[in-house]
Amino acid sequence: MSAPHADQLIEGYLARLNDLATDLPKSARRELIDDMRSHIAEARARESAETDATILNILDRLGEPGIVIADARERLGLKAPRPYRAGLLDVATVILVPFFWPVGVILLWMSPAWHWRDKLVGTLVPPGGYMGLSVIFLAASTQGGSCSTVRDQAGHLLSSSCTGPAELPGILDVPLAILVFGSPLISAAYLALRLRWGRPVQVAVA
Amino acid sequence: MALVWETPRYAFEMIEALGKTGMLTTEGTLYPLLSRLRRDGLVKTEWRESSDGPPRRYYELTAEGRRALAAFKNEWTSFRAAVDGILQEAKRS
Repeated sequence: MSAPHADQLIEGYLARLNDLATDLPKSARRELIDDMRSHIAEARARESAETDATILNILDRLGEPGIVIADARERLGLKAPRPYRAGLLDVATVILVPFFWPVGVILLWMSPAWHWRDKLVGTLVPPGGYMGLSVIFLAASTQGGSCSTVRDQAGHLLSSSCTGPAELPGILDVPLAILVFGSPLISAAYLALRLRWGRPVQVAVA
Repeated sequence: MALVWETPRYAFEMIEALGKTGMLTTEGTLYPLLSRLRRDGLVKTEWRESSDGPPRRYYELTAEGRRALAAFKNEWTSFRAAVDGILQEAKRS
């Protein structure tokens, strides 16, 4: 006879174990779950009449998933994952990325506080922070802008034309300027928001 | 480890034996321990067919495991003798 909710109870227990064991090496986690599964099968085979209560007792004797995983972690020499606390270095990173890009970006990629996608955004929006923007504008203003004049034989000016960075209509100027010059700050604000405040960081696995 | 000194056993058997002594309260913690002993080369494992269910993983001491257990037995014997001595001393005074 099988307990009406046996599978649900057992799978629920194993799922909790699995969720808590995410920082364990994959092979160790799989082995532990397999061991637990065969343990439960052995224990069930020894019960003459099975009810939900017998299943619950088997799981109780196995122990709280938290305790079992903590024990496994200890045997593997792993530390429990601790919530990451943002430090001064992370604050410095957020400030340096827009204003002193090279150092800021190095700090950004060294920090465990951000996901790699956030790091990419911090690096490329805009490339180089304010330093990058000023280089781009400097290059644009020296390259652009050449004038040519056409004169007739007598030296009278016929036409004169200048090419250079196209002037945008005044109405677009302001929002664009805000967007361009604001983007390093927007990107820094994004990084500040994406800091893993209190979120656990994956511990390096030995 | 002493449980597998004589003959290879599977985990559930060990748990039953330990359960009788009242030494094991959280049965699940035996598995990380066995896995650690195996990684350290103190026990080796082998799957064997069982007559009444799926195959079982049997644990057996390695030569190194036997040495480690013998060393522990010695230590334990002298430790127990020391504790007994202190307790008897305390009883007399």
